[in-house]
Amino acid sequence: MRILNAVSRRGLDMPSVHADAAERDHEITLALDVNPKQIGQLYREWYAIPDVIKVRSGAAHETEWGNAHPPTGVSMERAAARA
Amino acid sequence: MLKGAEIVLQCLRAERVELMFGYPGGAIMPLYDALDGSGIRHVLTRHEQGAVFAAEGYARVTGKVGVAIATSGPGATNLVTGIADAKMDSVPLVCITGQVRSAMIGTDAFQETDVFGVTLSLTKWSRLVRTLDEIPEVIAEGFHWARSGRPGPVIIDIPTDMLKAKKEFSGPARFTPHARPADAKADGGFTDTIVAMLQQASRPVALIGAGAKLSGAIPELRQLLDQLNIPTFATVHGLGAVPPQSPYYLGMVGMHGTRAANMALHETDLLLVLGARLDDRVTGDPSRFAPHAKIVHFEIDPAQLDRVRPCDLPVIGDLAETIPAFQAELRRHTVTDFKDWRAVACGPDRAELDPRGLAQPTIRFLDELFSRLPENSVVLADVGQHQMWAAQRYRSSSPRGFITSGGLGAMGFALPAAVGVQLAKPDTCILCVSGDGGFQMNIQELATVHRLDLPIKMVIIDNKYLGMVRQWQQLFYERNYAETDLSDNPDFVEIAKAYKIPSFRMNEDVMREFPVSDETGSEIDRFLRSPNPELLVFDCAPEANVFPMVPAGAALSEMLLEEEPAE
Repeated sequence: MRILNAVSRRGLDMPSVHADAAERDHEITLALDVNPKQIGQLYREWYAIPDVIKVRSGAAHETEWGNAHPPTGVSMERAAARA
Repeated sequence: MLKGAEIVLQCLRAERVELMFGYPGGAIMPLYDALDGSGIRHVLTRHEQGAVFAAEGYARVTGKVGVAIATSGPGATNLVTGIADAKMDSVPLVCITGQVRSAMIGTDAFQETDVFGVTLSLTKWSRLVRTLDEIPEVIAEGFHWARSGRPGPVIIDIPTDMLKAKKEFSGPARFTPHARPADAKADGGFTDTIVAMLQQASRPVALIGAGAKLSGAIPELRQLLDQLNIPTFATVHGLGAVPPQSPYYLGMVGMHGTRAANMALHETDLLLVLGARLDDRVTGDPSRFAPHAKIVHFEIDPAQLDRVRPCDLPVIGDLAETIPAFQAELRRHTVTDFKDWRAVACGPDRAELDPRGLAQPTIRFLDELFSRLPENSVVLADVGQHQMWAAQRYRSSSPRGFITSGGLGAMGFALPAAVGVQLAKPDTCILCVSGDGGFQMNIQELATVHRLDLPIKMVIIDNKYLGMVRQWQQLFYERNYAETDLSDNPDFVEIAKAYKIPSFRMNEDVMREFPVSDETGSEIDRFLRSPNPELLVFDCAPEANVFPMVPAGAALSEMLLEEEPAE
């Protein structure tokens, strides 16, 4: 619900929401029409939700997400490299 | 076999809860019924907002999780402002609300509200309990999230039938969170980069925020700042982290920060942010924030990074771990002494108020109060002009010594929060400074102060206006004082007396003498050292303003230092 709330508070339309159960977790897939700034805002807000484990984007915005998000600290870059 | 309510209380005890604040009602009655003998002290406030602010006060001054209890419906919705406040200011808080019976949820039953839905965007985590069996796990997880990482508010909504039902109880649960791939902490690799950045800089500064206190790394922070010896300033929640007598300390930064701090932040070429999230009251116009600076951002919550503008080096982790790593690296290098920059940034040309006391009487009054406070006192400020005056004049090096609603700016915060602070620190002088507007927003908590005989020293700065709004109306709305006139205020002295709390009035004219008369000084000393609660109403000029001030949308360098002279 918090994932959807982060979208709705910005007045964004959600043409598609899909949730799949995966063991004790869920995978939520949203289709959204967003600009790069909103991508950053949403990433941060989703990531701040304690029980969100991972956030990733589809191909359309891979460049934007790959650049600034997740926030790239020294250690984060290394973690990303390892991943 | 234990009732659900008894299980809840046992789980709270397992989380080391000793004190909670609340207000009973229908759906939460089973929990109140089980309180006796639980080992947890409950404090009845006179409004649920009072309860949640009191729990926040307790949490802010101790670093422990504050707990507030309310019933369903209006009880739960009355918690909402406090929950939002805790989210903004990173306060560990667990709110437990009663809910209508499980079978009635969704039927618009009496006193039913979807508090889980209402607070979704305000809580760090929340859960509507669905089965009796999950109560221990839910409480363990809620407390984990409230106190871990960047602390925040949690709400646990429990249907009343779950509180009444019985089951075998095998003991409190433990919670282990998922590992998140992106949660990598700083591993020390950042330190040589910062040192290199320092060696290239000519005008470095340090900005200290609430994270410094939350991390508990105050001794390490102070050692680091002494090592760096660069101009340093603090957000309103960072006040007290740096001893104010430090030669490199410039006071508070931001909209009502000192001229020296704001100028240094505007001119710097290397900004070290230690535990601050850089909100708009600190940055001014984000596009002109620290325009010449590279930014190194020490932050525990990656979600806070890059909000205003991308930083050049994020250092993710607890300051208790990252500061010592930085210190160790600094010891291996010779870092420039930025003496010329210090001379400019900390020099006399940027001093603010005339130390002889030509400042306005309210500031003089706060200076008198603060200078006479016993050591380790705690000051609470409500929201408005008095809050900013108090923040500007606060001169203590007690890291948790200045408490206010910073991010949300919730009027009515200070009095109930002072209840929580005084209960946490029974032998400490607690000074609660409010305005005449904010004090009336939770004035009913005078009854709590009286019932518990809490020796809180309450001050109302009474200018008979909603002063900060009036100031903006004066400066930016051509003096159209729309609905900010409170000239028909009640007599606060008489109101306090009705609650059986001693009270007296002081007029600002006594602050026009410098130094203040012996009589006035003695009266303030007596007030601060009284073993009883007491209210002091300070009558101040209706149109006194807070300066410096950075107008909304301006850069920090564009602060107003005084009113424009009338044409």
